[in-house]
Amino acid sequence: MVPPSKLTSQMAFKVDRPLRVMLIDDNIIDLKINSKIIGISKLFDDIILCQSGEEAINYFKSRYDETDQLPQLILLDIQMPEMDGFEFLECYKELPEKLKTNTIIAMLSSTLDFGDTKKAEANPYVIKLLKKPLFITHLQSIFNENFIVGK
Amino acid sequence: MTRTPVKVLYIDDEENNLIAFKASFRRQYEIYTAKSAAEGLKVLENLPVEVIIADQKMPETTGVEFFKSITHSYPDPIRILLTGYTDIAALADAINHGDIYRYITKPWNDLELHNSIKNAYDAYRSKIDLRNKVKELEKTNDELNRFIYSISHELRAPLVSVIGIVNLVKMEGLYHSSGEYWELIESCSSKLDYYIQKTLQYYKNNKTVTDKAEINFKKLVDEIIEVYAYNNRDTQFKIDIKQDDVFIGDAFRIEVILGNLISNAIKYQKSDEREKIVEIAISANKFSAEIAITDNGLGILNEHLEKIFTQFFKSKNNQGSGLGLFIVKEALNKINGKISVSSNLDYGTTFKINIPNGI
Repeated sequence: MVPPSKLTSQMAFKVDRPLRVMLIDDNIIDLKINSKIIGISKLFDDIILCQSGEEAINYFKSRYDETDQLPQLILLDIQMPEMDGFEFLECYKELPEKLKTNTIIAMLSSTLDFGDTKKAEANPYVIKLLKKPLFITHLQSIFNENFIVGK
Repeated sequence: MTRTPVKVLYIDDEENNLIAFKASFRRQYEIYTAKSAAEGLKVLENLPVEVIIADQKMPETTGVEFFKSITHSYPDPIRILLTGYTDIAALADAINHGDIYRYITKPWNDLELHNSIKNAYDAYRSKIDLRNKVKELEKTNDELNRFIYSISHELRAPLVSVIGIVNLVKMEGLYHSSGEYWELIESCSSKLDYYIQKTLQYYKNNKTVTDKAEINFKKLVDEIIEVYAYNNRDTQFKIDIKQDDVFIGDAFRIEVILGNLISNAIKYQKSDEREKIVEIAISANKFSAEIAITDNGLGILNEHLEKIFTQFFKSKNNQGSGLGLFIVKEALNKINGKISVSSNLDYGTTFKINIPNGI
C-alpha cells in the first residue's frame, strides 16, 4: 500500500482553512524563528509547537475524535535528544490511518549530511528535506505543490 | 630485561623427536608438544601459542593439512613445517595454502631451527603490533568522524539559527535599522558557515569510502544553482547538458566538485559587469563526463594559475577560504578525475573536468 503522503507528493490535495502546521524542534530559538517566518508567510492559520517527538505523537493520539485539530503539514527537525526525527517517523508510522490521512511531513534541519537527505527522501511519509534557515519561498513551493486551498 | 619466553607448540607423531626438541630448546622457550594434529588443536584452544612447528609426515592429518585447517581459527601463530625428506608437492602445497613461514628439513640443525623460531617470533610480534596500530588508527579515525559529526550538527545548528534571525530581520524591514550592524552580522555568519561547510567537505572527502550512485547531471546542476545563486539573482546561467547514458559516480564528491566550481564562478564576478554569465556545459557518455564551467568574471593572474589548487592559497583581492579549489582537486584525485584551467585576467575563467563513468 502506498502511504497517503507519497501519493500527495505527486499531486496536490484539497484542503480547507483553517490550515495548521506543526513544528517539531527541541530548540526553542528555532521554534520561535520558524513560527515567525510561517507567520509572515500567511500560509497557515495556526501553528502547533512541539518541543519533542513524544509531544507531537501525544498531540496526534489525543486528537483521535477531533481530527480537524490535526496539522496538514509537519516540519520535523532531525537532531533531537531521545527521539530524533527518524525515530519520530517510526512512531508516526504506527499511528492509526485515520490520524495521518490529511498530513504530510517535511523535514527541516541544518544537516549537511548526505546520508540524512537520502534517508529522508527514502521515507514514504517525507515529501522533502528542507534546509535551515527556512525560507518563505521554499515553504511556499511545498505548499503549492501539495495543497489546493478550497475556501 | 625479563621477558616471558616464546610459547612454541611442536607437533610430531615420533615421540623421540618431541623429546629431542624439548631437550635442545627448553631453556630458551616455553615448549608444548603434541603427538597429533588433534592433540595440537587442544593445546591451541587453551594457550596463546606464538610459534607452531609441525611435522609433515603424520598419520591421519599431515602438517600442511593441519596448518590449512587452522588458517581461519588461529591465524596468528607463525608456522614452521618440518619434513624428513624434500617433498616438492608438500612444499608447494604448504607455500600455497598453509601460510608457512619456514620449511625445515629433518634432521634439523639446532642453530638453524633456533634462528627460525626467533625470526618467527619477530614476525609474530610485528604482525600483532601492526594489528594494534591499525586498531589505534581506526579508533582515531572514528573519533575524527564523530568530531566532524559534531561540527556538522552542534556547531552549525546555532549558527544557522543566527542566519535565520537575520533573514527575519530582513523580512520585518529592520535590516537597515541599526546602521550596518545587521549587514556585518550577516556577512560574518555566512563566512563562518562557509568555513564549516568547507571543513566538512574536506574531511568527508578524506574518508576513502566512495558512495556509488546514479548521477543525473541536469538535476544536480539545477540543485546546485538553486543553492548558490539564491542570493545572487543577476547572474545568467547558460546550461548545456548532454547525457545519453547512465552515469555512475561518487555522488558526494561530484556534488562537491561542481558545487565549488559553480559557486566560485558566481562569486568571482566583476561587480561592474552588466551581463554576468556562467556557462555550464556537460557531455556525459558511457566512458566519461566532460564538464566545462566558464565565467566572464575577474579571471586569474597567470602566475597564480599553478597555485590555485594548493591548500590555503588565496589571492589578496578576493575573499576566499583557500580551501574550495583544493578540495575540488582532492576530490577529483579520489575519483580519478582530471581538471585543467585557463583564464584571462578581466575576461573570465574556464575550468574543464573529466570524470570517468563508473558504470
